[in-house]
Amino acid sequence: MNDTAVLGRSRAMVTETRHLLFTVSPGAAWIILFLVLPSAYLMGVAFMTNGPYGLPEMPLSLESFRQLAGFGFLGWSPGNLYTLLRSLWQTVVATGLVVVVAYPIAYYITTCRARWRPIMLLLVVVPSWTNQVIRTFGWMNLLAPGTPLSAAAETLGLIAPNMGLYPSNFAVTLGLVYNFLPFMVLPLYAAFEKLDTAQVEAAQDLYATPIKAFWHAVFPQTLPGLLAGVVLVAIPAFGMYVIPELLGGGKALMLGNLVANQFSGGSNWPLGAAGAILMLLATFAGLYAMRRIGKRLGGGEEVVI
Amino acid sequence: MLYRNRIAAGITLASVLFTGAAQAEEGKLYLFNWTEYMDPEIIEAFEERYDVEVVTNYFNSNPEMIAKLNAGGTSQYDIVVPSNYYIPRMIETGLVQKLDRALIPNFDNLMDQFKDPSFDPGAEYSAAYQWGTTGIVYNTETFPEAPKSWSLLFDPEVNGDYPFSMIQDGQVATGSACAYLVGNFQCSSLDDLKQAARLLIETKNRDNFSGFTDGTPTLQQLARGVTHVGMSFNGDYLYFKDEDPETFEHLAFIIPDEGAEMWVDSMVIPVDAPNPELAHKFIDFILDAEIGAQLSNYNYYASPNEAARPYLDEVLTQPPTQPTEDDMERLRFTPSLSGQQLQTFQQLWSEVKAR
Amino acid sequence: MRKRTLKRGLTGFWWLTLVFLYLPLAVVVMFSFNAANSAASMTGFSLRWYHQLFANDQIMSAFGNTLVLALASSLIALAIGCLIGYGMYRHRHRKLGWLIVLIYLPIVLPDIVFGISEMAFFVKLHELTGWFKPGLGTMIIAHVTFQIPFVALIVYSRFVGLDPTLFEAAKDLYATPIKRVVHFMLPTIKPALISAFFLSFTLSVDDFVISFFTSGPESATLPIYIWGAIKKGVSPEINAIATLMIAAVALAAVASLAINRRKA
Repeated sequence: MNDTAVLGRSRAMVTETRHLLFTVSPGAAWIILFLVLPSAYLMGVAFMTNGPYGLPEMPLSLESFRQLAGFGFLGWSPGNLYTLLRSLWQTVVATGLVVVVAYPIAYYITTCRARWRPIMLLLVVVPSWTNQVIRTFGWMNLLAPGTPLSAAAETLGLIAPNMGLYPSNFAVTLGLVYNFLPFMVLPLYAAFEKLDTAQVEAAQDLYATPIKAFWHAVFPQTLPGLLAGVVLVAIPAFGMYVIPELLGGGKALMLGNLVANQFSGGSNWPLGAAGAILMLLATFAGLYAMRRIGKRLGGGEEVVI
Repeated sequence: MLYRNRIAAGITLASVLFTGAAQAEEGKLYLFNWTEYMDPEIIEAFEERYDVEVVTNYFNSNPEMIAKLNAGGTSQYDIVVPSNYYIPRMIETGLVQKLDRALIPNFDNLMDQFKDPSFDPGAEYSAAYQWGTTGIVYNTETFPEAPKSWSLLFDPEVNGDYPFSMIQDGQVATGSACAYLVGNFQCSSLDDLKQAARLLIETKNRDNFSGFTDGTPTLQQLARGVTHVGMSFNGDYLYFKDEDPETFEHLAFIIPDEGAEMWVDSMVIPVDAPNPELAHKFIDFILDAEIGAQLSNYNYYASPNEAARPYLDEVLTQPPTQPTEDDMERLRFTPSLSGQQLQTFQQLWSEVKAR
Repeated sequence: MRKRTLKRGLTGFWWLTLVFLYLPLAVVVMFSFNAANSAASMTGFSLRWYHQLFANDQIMSAFGNTLVLALASSLIALAIGCLIGYGMYRHRHRKLGWLIVLIYLPIVLPDIVFGISEMAFFVKLHELTGWFKPGLGTMIIAHVTFQIPFVALIVYSRFVGLDPTLFEAAKDLYATPIKRVVHFMLPTIKPALISAFFLSFTLSVDDFVISFFTSGPESATLPIYIWGAIKKGVSPEINAIATLMIAAVALAAVASLAINRRKA
């Protein structure tokens, strides 16, 4: 009696496991075969030697990491460091600006009538459904020399005469803000929607100024949404390739371009792979940091997506 | 409803495409060529003569071309048209196959110097397509008294205010800096090379530098007034001038007195080309006297084809297509780099781009 | 009083932001009807770029490739992702941390790393096996890879939102697992399937970087074609293709609004 029950249970376990394998293994295998293995291969490439014509060769070496750090045949040079710093700087500035724009927008949407909100959200999101090459191309049209915007900037003395607003670092920042704005508005909106108004009202009674009330009652409540937004914006911005390539005009190289150039210029696969590893590390470090901060703040929710 | 229609439309289209693809797989020639470099009528004539289809893909620079070949392109193209300085490295890395001269009777039409070029002794792997020069194109309204010199690009005194671009191909940009600094397009020493890189970094950090651009797109930017000086090719300049004479009236092409680049683009067959037999037929077709002339008459580049000479338009015998004797003396090939030299150059160039 | 000023300020800011969001797209649409070949000034209305567009074989084949790629990859991803989503739900009490990590991987990996890894890997595989020649096939594989997680997560969250007793009822009602899948499972998660398919489709059309690195000579999609055209020197045709793509997105937006309305 007892035996058969145990037997039945273990048989059920076996069926369950078989079921798990049946449902999960095709997808898991797909991702392992077509993403984990390729990434592992790429990481392997980073430890190989750059052949005389830019393709990876044996033996294994750490040369590509030395090159990434700026050490070459000609001694140390700061080019790659500049690129890294530029990527970090662009990411920080763009993310900051996105927050500044998205925060009031997300709040504003929650103050509007419920039936309008989905439409307003849609209006914010729809531009990001178009292809990013097209979006960036739109900005190329807008910022080129001779366009009204460039002419205005010229009269204001913001740019040198005859020079358009593009290509420039400024155009890249603008492109990044444009590209990532919706990714910040959505999570912030979700946070504002869940806002506990009782707390806000209490705070309004408690603190003299609205700024204090906001800081103590509203801001902490929106923090999880803000963090989610920062992850969604900062990580892809850091590895951005298309925008600096089209709007930067070779003056505003970012890490993504440094990596891609090693492949698309056909010059140095191992160096490109080493750059990719750096990008991966930065991504995972960013995710981990956000998770830790999110947990400490007691949000406890999954921040990603 | 929307979804259903979209899916239905998509599936019909997909099935059409797939069957279409299956039928056409035989008898296709995959050509990997520079943009604006081939007369569509020549392609049509070839397709008709051999009852095949020609699929063309385009590139804008040699680095772009080699990157595509490295990324699996060696088994995807039948004909590629690289420039002289990339051919030795393609031969050495085994990217291209030897030509079977028996299948190319028209090879004899080539001028003698192209039958034994320095970059491919004996022309075992390559057959010349066109040759030309890389010079400066500038706006004559902006610079009515422009010097015939690289100072248009490199000297802020000469052009401190107007946006300009430099060529994306690092070896050519560096060569131009060398010409400006030491009066020879080919830098001979490492010190000169470093000096050139330093000049390029200074130049690219000037306020009115607008970016690195490939040769052909540079002309579009100039035409649209996005830039006022840039580097481009003589034939492309004439080609676009012919298309839009009004705009190009204000644009001029010059070969600077300090010297500049001369190049030969040649047809090669990748080592794993899907259809090498057809590729040989194509090379032979292009080397035909009349077809060779038609090609030059279309793209305004000088023909390496001796037999084509009687059929060439007159414009092709004059500058800038055929440079003057004086200019010819100062024109140089971009050196073909390999091994340590190549890696040193690449580090210098990535430094230029990154800073 | 102060509240009203705040609200008014916010309204102004909202409209400004909308201008910011739609201006670049509007400019593209506007210049697609420009009579002259100029990005700086409008000289008159013309449909010439659209005529050129439909006469251009390359653009038409790029359009076909875009559709085939989006459709094929979405359907494959739907099948595979659906299974995982259900598996994750059914076995959610087990420790599946590794699976979650695996599923999030394609989402968090930077595009450029994703694309380059696949490119390098496919080149190597092609060298070794003769298969995986860069082209539509490799692009479909790559797209499915980044679509699977989204499908899985959407399907999973749909199952989580269901009443668990429904499953018991279905077990009594339909004897075989296949019948259960056909008559219960699929109909219940139909909304999730539709939105997963829609999302996969958009993700595929929206992708440039990964397609760019995994494509072959005949598999250029519209974004790749546009990229090439921009690199080659801007041609006004790009405005026309871009406008058609923007129109498709606008249509999708209206459709999704209508569907939302019907649900509400």
